[in-house]
Amino acid sequence: MHDGTRTDVPRPGFDAELRAGLAVVGGMFPPTITPDLIDFMRISYASPPMAEVFDERRIDVTEVSFPGYQGADLGAAVLRPCDAEGARPTVLYAHSGGLMFGDKFSGVDLVLDWVTRLGVTLVTVDYRLAPEFGDPFAREDMYAALEWVAARAKDLGVRRDRILVAGASAGGGLAAGLALAARDRGGPRLCGQVLDYPMLDDRLLTASTTQFDGVGVWDRISNQTGWQALLGDRCGGDEVSPYAAPARARDLGGLPPAFIDVGAAEIFRDEAIDYANRIWQAGGDAELHVWSGAFHACDIFAPHTSVGRAMIRTRNDWVEKVLAD
Amino acid sequence: MQELLGRISRLDPSSSLGLRVIACFDELIVGNVNTRALLAAAAALAGCTAGFRQVDGRRAMRVTPKGQIDETAAPPQRDDLVVRAGEDLIVWLERAETPGANDAIILERLALSIRIRHGRGPRGLDDRRHLGVLTDRVSSPEDRLDAAGSLGLVASRSYRVVAAPLFAVWEARPAGPEDVIATRFGPIHAVVVPEHHEPFRASPCGLGVAVPASDLDRSFRSALVALRLCDPPREPLVAADAYGGLIDLLAEVDEAQHAYADTLSVVVEHSWALETVAALVTTQTVREAARMLNIHHSTLQARCDTLKANLGYDPLHGFGRTRLGTAFLLHRLNRSNVLDMPAPGST
Repeated sequence: MHDGTRTDVPRPGFDAELRAGLAVVGGMFPPTITPDLIDFMRISYASPPMAEVFDERRIDVTEVSFPGYQGADLGAAVLRPCDAEGARPTVLYAHSGGLMFGDKFSGVDLVLDWVTRLGVTLVTVDYRLAPEFGDPFAREDMYAALEWVAARAKDLGVRRDRILVAGASAGGGLAAGLALAARDRGGPRLCGQVLDYPMLDDRLLTASTTQFDGVGVWDRISNQTGWQALLGDRCGGDEVSPYAAPARARDLGGLPPAFIDVGAAEIFRDEAIDYANRIWQAGGDAELHVWSGAFHACDIFAPHTSVGRAMIRTRNDWVEKVLAD
Repeated sequence: MQELLGRISRLDPSSSLGLRVIACFDELIVGNVNTRALLAAAAALAGCTAGFRQVDGRRAMRVTPKGQIDETAAPPQRDDLVVRAGEDLIVWLERAETPGANDAIILERLALSIRIRHGRGPRGLDDRRHLGVLTDRVSSPEDRLDAAGSLGLVASRSYRVVAAPLFAVWEARPAGPEDVIATRFGPIHAVVVPEHHEPFRASPCGLGVAVPASDLDRSFRSALVALRLCDPPREPLVAADAYGGLIDLLAEVDEAQHAYADTLSVVVEHSWALETVAALVTTQTVREAARMLNIHHSTLQARCDTLKANLGYDPLHGFGRTRLGTAFLLHRLNRSNVLDMPAPGST
């Protein structure tokens, strides 16, 4: 009947259940985020109290600190099943929030199944946020976390030969950057990378980037706000590191197996498809899922919907395949 | 989603979560989704399992807030959280604690949408649905009168439709039947008020023309046009009456959905064009318009000459005035962004 807006740009519609979800989501996550909304988003996207959830799901949470980029004292949380013993398969997780907001527990609901069902040790990191901390803080904080996890494997209950990096949205971009950096620097060996609707490219050149202005979650302007906050004047120019914007990497060979999912109705669609395709062209292993009718991060906002459930299930199956004992 | 509702009300305590619940189910009804999807949405909004059963017990389903089929044993049913969805269907929420603030509206909308999905149809079952019939141009005058009767409206009296987006800010709410109507501009909150109603203020808000109950679809269309002419904070509320019969023409053009020619586009490159046209169409003489613009009348005359050259007609004479006024309103409709959701926290 209508999709909520007027538009001259053709674009795939949102799934009906997800459209219904947007009627609620729109109240706390506006489609278009400009720099003046960063403060609001930091309040609205802050993770809710999680203690009860962890308790119910019998997850043991240890707050830890680790040396981040340039040695700064940063926080992370280590999540394990209550009855876990010894070294476990491990996930290093980078949260969502456009590089500017969110915290280590934002969107973490979706990966708790890995802890409870697969017995994974999950380390989720409070990397530093833009614009206060521009590039390279976020990615180098994450890299420092990776080295720390590998070095402290014994104390943390980490199996060094089975470390996976994962992240959603901005965190997906950071996870992809981690995999590139670990390859190039001879860092800890990774067994996989889960890139959920990842934010890969600061150049904003794809067709999908311009297809969803003012609708859904995270439109072109929001993306510009995020990249500008991270990169400042370098945004879109020749000086951007592939560890910050992985789409800029010339060589996508020699990477750990990748799981990439993305909505057909979101701006990151084309860059995600292209990233998977370039991994295949380089002889690598990638599994790509493009979900019809899905807006950005719809599985975080509307996990109860049939699309949301399918996304979560498909991702969990892949993680089980590469990670489970 | 229950958690999202909680966040929204913490961010903006004045926000109406009930309307968000309504808008959510409206999308599900329009999208014709299945029973599991309806129960999943209700459960997600309520934060507890939602169920439905045919009274004869042939079909039943319980769904968790995560959208999974609930295989656990059902707790004893609570009388305060069960709603009949027609003669042979019931829906319920399974909550151990006190009912939540939104439980009633969630159950009401769940019952309605389940009934429609199961082919029981909306008519005669839910008063709130009548407003959809009343404001829909394709329903017959008889159906509209039926709907009006069910809503307690009297055929011989005149009413207006008040139209506002869900994010509108209200000061004193007008009393009358209300609902959220899906339009091509998004969900619109519509309230039917008597022709002479208590004063209220809302931003943005369109007030439709006064019509008999059987013509309320026309009032709704005029209210939508008026709403889209709003320009808050300067002009938060527009009454269709201000534009007389012109509003019906505008509504027709607006309904047609094809891009109509914006004849003012040839003059908007002049930085002075829009304010000058606005002054010309709201005053009687060039001198008066010049005073409003705070410029010398010879300057305005020069602008008028430019307008005449660009537009191809004299905006000050005969039908030229009407053409200019119409072009001005169409231009505003074309450029209207009053229905774009404002950034949260900006109001």
